[in-house]
Amino acid sequence: MDKKQIREAYTLYWLENGNRPVSVFTFCKILGITETTFYDNYSSLEAIEKDFWLGIFQETLAQLKTDETYQNYAAQEKLLSFYFLWVQKLKENRSYILLQKEKFRFPVLHQGQLDTFRKAFLDYASELIKEGYQSEEIKERKYISDKYAHGFWVQALFVLRYWINDNSEKFEMTDAAIEKAVNLSFRLISSNTLDSLLDFGKFMLTGK
Amino acid sequence: MNEQSKIPTGKVERATRFVGTGLKVGTNYIKHYTRKLMDPSVGKEQLHADNAEDIYETLSNLKGSALKVAQMLSMDKGMLPKAYSDRFAMSQYSAPPLSGPLVVNTFLKTLGKTPAQLFDHFDMKASNAASIGQVHKAMKGDRRLAIKIQYPGVANSVKSDLRIVKPFAIRIVGMSEVDLDKYFEEIETRLLEETDYRLELKRSIELSGLCAHIPNLVFPGYYPELSSERIITMDWLEGQHLKEFLETNPSQEVRNSIGQAIWDFYQFQVHQLKKVHADPHPGNFLMRANGTVGIFDFGCVKEIPEDFYVNYFSLVDKEILKDEARRKQIYANLEMIHPSDTEKEVTFYSTLFQQMIDMLTLPFTLEEFDFGNETYFREIYAYMDYLYNLKEIRESKVARGSRHSLYVNRTYFGMYSILSDLKAKVITSQSRVQALMSAS
Repeated sequence: MDKKQIREAYTLYWLENGNRPVSVFTFCKILGITETTFYDNYSSLEAIEKDFWLGIFQETLAQLKTDETYQNYAAQEKLLSFYFLWVQKLKENRSYILLQKEKFRFPVLHQGQLDTFRKAFLDYASELIKEGYQSEEIKERKYISDKYAHGFWVQALFVLRYWINDNSEKFEMTDAAIEKAVNLSFRLISSNTLDSLLDFGKFMLTGK
Repeated sequence: MNEQSKIPTGKVERATRFVGTGLKVGTNYIKHYTRKLMDPSVGKEQLHADNAEDIYETLSNLKGSALKVAQMLSMDKGMLPKAYSDRFAMSQYSAPPLSGPLVVNTFLKTLGKTPAQLFDHFDMKASNAASIGQVHKAMKGDRRLAIKIQYPGVANSVKSDLRIVKPFAIRIVGMSEVDLDKYFEEIETRLLEETDYRLELKRSIELSGLCAHIPNLVFPGYYPELSSERIITMDWLEGQHLKEFLETNPSQEVRNSIGQAIWDFYQFQVHQLKKVHADPHPGNFLMRANGTVGIFDFGCVKEIPEDFYVNYFSLVDKEILKDEARRKQIYANLEMIHPSDTEKEVTFYSTLFQQMIDMLTLPFTLEEFDFGNETYFREIYAYMDYLYNLKEIRESKVARGSRHSLYVNRTYFGMYSILSDLKAKVITSQSRVQALMSAS
């Protein structure tokens, strides 16, 4: 049994029982595998939960990378396509994610399960930002530009939360939210708005 | 690339945008009065131009239903000072496009395939902006196609947008809020229908089929299998929009032929189908040098209730109008005069309406009408201005005119204004309509 199968069995368990298995032991018993096999793949149940998110992220990215149109996109469009596809993939697991929300008030709390996904996303975002520098879509700013990737992470969390609470037909409001959020963020990091704001802030703090 | 870099997000942000306009318009008034203090001869033209520009900029940033309202306002040239209508007329052509990934996503979600999988060629850059969507060019085999794509969440924002637009509409149109309510309800219904692309597709196929026999009209073919609730695929029509077309100096014959086709199209729908393409803004017509005109966009269709139809068109009948009592009854049925009106008000309003009706229905009473007759339109505009400035009307808190008349009037206004720009000479006799009806 490989990681993916264990992951799928784990989410299935959640869907049927609405809760986490009591222990690795009971989980293995249901799966009909030995604990050794389990520990060869995962160190704990939490690790599966983390891998669930990372798995979706990696699948999304893998699919995008094979897409020719995606390759030709500028950074902003790449990020847009990422969110659109990501949300599509999340849809396949919506029930599981909604259970997480009910049980743990996710994603407000219990964000630990996003740890590995977050690291991978930050790498991806940094890559996009570098591309953005080259295409001059994004302006490099001392100290601040290092934080852009974190800004995008906050945005990804926003999209996730919006989608979790979205009741519109085919989640079309999420589509609109993504479009608007990404446009806004790129507008902020490319134009002079932010610079003027910083300049003003610096003036207020240091001047007199 | 000219993609819009930022779209106002939530309702709050939309509202701030409108507040921004309010402030700006306010400043324009201050500017105007200062200018006037310095030089009393300054007219209001500059003020109107400034206001229109600010309002237009705000509206075009909002896209969606606000833009639609701008379009509606721009139709009624008579109701708006010239500067407003010139500026608003621009909104009939282009609003900034949305991103490529969203277009792909819309295809994937509603048709299950990417544009690249469905078409041999798909132009990612929108060639045209419709007010609640945008149009892309595509090829399938050797067929050239036009694909209309709707922005996500449009229906959701229609209601809240209208609520925000209302104070501005009150300001621009000069009506009281009570007055506007029943009209806003009508507009809301129409707008919500317009966001329903499945309904539009159905109506497009139905109405263009029923009107196919009218000479010199061209309708695109539609492709239901390539359409969904957010996408409509149709044949790409060649031709030019009114303004560009007129720049090519078409001959009088060609202009007459196009004008006649448009006239016939509307008359046939109103009298035979009792359902009418109620969006006659120039962006929906493509004119060509051979005297034919392409028509699309059946998103806004007004179904005309029978009793409204009977009353409305009695106004054209000179015989009926001679009968004083009957005439008053018709006015009452059309809600032009109210039960609460005093005798004096009844006389006042019926005289006004009669004058207006005589003027507006003139083409219907003749065998042939020359829409190039500028004096006629100048008279209408002058009369509208006169009405607009009448103290009694401005201060009237009562809604006058049935809700149905809103879109029917708008349709005729729009048609008149196109025919007048075309300077077309058109056969307007009743027998022409009769012939079209019996030919169907």
